[in-house]
Amino acid sequence: MKMLRILKRILPYAVMYGIAFLWIIPILWMADTAFKPKPEILSIPPSWIPSHFTLENVMRLFSQWPFLRWLLNSVIVASSVTLGSLILSTLAAFSFARLHWRGRDTLFMILLVFMLIPWQVNVIPLFFTMTKFGFLNTYHGVALPMIAMPIGVFLLRQFFINIPKELEDAARIDGCSSFGVLTRVIIPVSRPVFAAFGVYMFNFAWNEFFWSMIALRKSTMVTLPVGLKLLQGAFEIDYGLILAGAFMASLPSLLVFVLLRRQIIRGFSMAGSGTKG
Amino acid sequence: MRKKFGEFLYRHKQLEGILYVLPFASLWAAFLAWPVGYGIYISLFDWNPMRGSKFVGLANYVQLFHEARFWNAVGNTFEFAGITIPLILGFGFIFALMVWGWGRTRHGATAVQAILFSPYLLTVSIVAIVWKWLLDRDFGLVQHTLGSLIPSAPVFLTSTAWALPAIAFGTAWWLAGYRMVVLQAGLEEIPQELFEAARIDGARQLQQFSHIILPLIKPSLLFALVLTVISAFRTFGQVLLMTDGGPGTSTEVLALYMYRIGFDYFQVGKAAAAGVILLVMILLLTLLGVKLLGLKSELQ
Repeated sequence: MKMLRILKRILPYAVMYGIAFLWIIPILWMADTAFKPKPEILSIPPSWIPSHFTLENVMRLFSQWPFLRWLLNSVIVASSVTLGSLILSTLAAFSFARLHWRGRDTLFMILLVFMLIPWQVNVIPLFFTMTKFGFLNTYHGVALPMIAMPIGVFLLRQFFINIPKELEDAARIDGCSSFGVLTRVIIPVSRPVFAAFGVYMFNFAWNEFFWSMIALRKSTMVTLPVGLKLLQGAFEIDYGLILAGAFMASLPSLLVFVLLRRQIIRGFSMAGSGTKG
Repeated sequence: MRKKFGEFLYRHKQLEGILYVLPFASLWAAFLAWPVGYGIYISLFDWNPMRGSKFVGLANYVQLFHEARFWNAVGNTFEFAGITIPLILGFGFIFALMVWGWGRTRHGATAVQAILFSPYLLTVSIVAIVWKWLLDRDFGLVQHTLGSLIPSAPVFLTSTAWALPAIAFGTAWWLAGYRMVVLQAGLEEIPQELFEAARIDGARQLQQFSHIILPLIKPSLLFALVLTVISAFRTFGQVLLMTDGGPGTSTEVLALYMYRIGFDYFQVGKAAAAGVILLVMILLLTLLGVKLLGLKSELQ
């Protein structure tokens, strides 16, 4: 009887931790492989504990590939996408939520229909559009379509629309222009939603693969996700090198996640439920 | 005089409203909306920017419909979606219930939640590399472990029958955490009083699940479904990096097929036609989802 009670108390823990452990194995195995000597990477059966810790895979990565340049490219692209879409989406969302003009709701409806169409699928015409502008192999070429994603406008408008009208009226009486209303009333109270959308957008741009692969064709211009594909392109599959690359590329995201876990999960859950009906 | 001033103010307001939208709208028009129309245009041509394109009407579409490889890609896309969507949502929902239900009273639930969410932070290339390595036919950890537990286990990535399900599973590992977070937010919105009332009335856990949780979580579940359907149908990177469509064309999904014929075989018109078909497919599914979700009410 007592045994049963103990079992009942332990079981949820066992299930929860067990699932979490299984779920994290791929990431642990990636890290394990990245720092294992080559003969042990290719051993049967696979062994978890390396005879010694080695940096040879990581060294090979840095000496043979412009990994740091890829990292820089990723930082530039993801930051400019985040900043650009925050600014442009805020302006547009403000107009859709608080200003009145003819055609507003029609335009918003069209954006709404477009919002859930994955634009990356449309790479062929997008590729030729960018060729016309001469934007291939440039940071702005890869970033502009991501900045133009309507999801931010939708998310921010949702939030702006629920800000009490009295706050705006008070500012108007004090002589604020509409831009003053935006910068002094709307933006200060919207910080949480900016943070959520910023997190969402940065992660999106940081991880975007399909369009980035098409738009960036020079090996020094590519972002990390595309660079990792180049590692795999070699004639002999060098798992030590590839896994070192994958591990190093995942390190920034995982580190930031460990530090800001709560905020990031809240951001995703807001961005997720904010687009819900 | 007065009337004219009012008119100016109205026009001014009109202009002001448009000005705020303009920077975003022009980017959107140039890089997201225009390419959709341009894609339809290209799909009507034997496209060759170097030597001049020839208008061929619907010939590209007709050609696609007569091509076994195109239908193979359509079939693979649906098979992939059919496997990965239930896996992603199933894992996501179970995880959400677990962290939400057990989490409040037990230690370590937030750490468990973080671990389950963390694969979502990885880019698709990392997910593909890791799973390709785990399933390597000679040295893969998962392949080897399963092989020694079940002697008849297939070599996943080189099997025409098992490669696609294996990629679908890797995808579920990647995406389930985000669905968990979305669904957990939905679960947390359910008022606690409902459960207390149910307990007083003597409702069992299973009854609480089917009479309280399920009906109230439905909107979140539908939202997660739409999200997942779209990402399943546009799947590209995992397949490209894990099997490159192989063995043979057994894992070639539509997005990969389109990429192949467009950028490897330079049949741009035909690739654009395939893109239009894929886009229409996703649009129809999305509109269906929007209808189910009632997103229209957001406009009021």
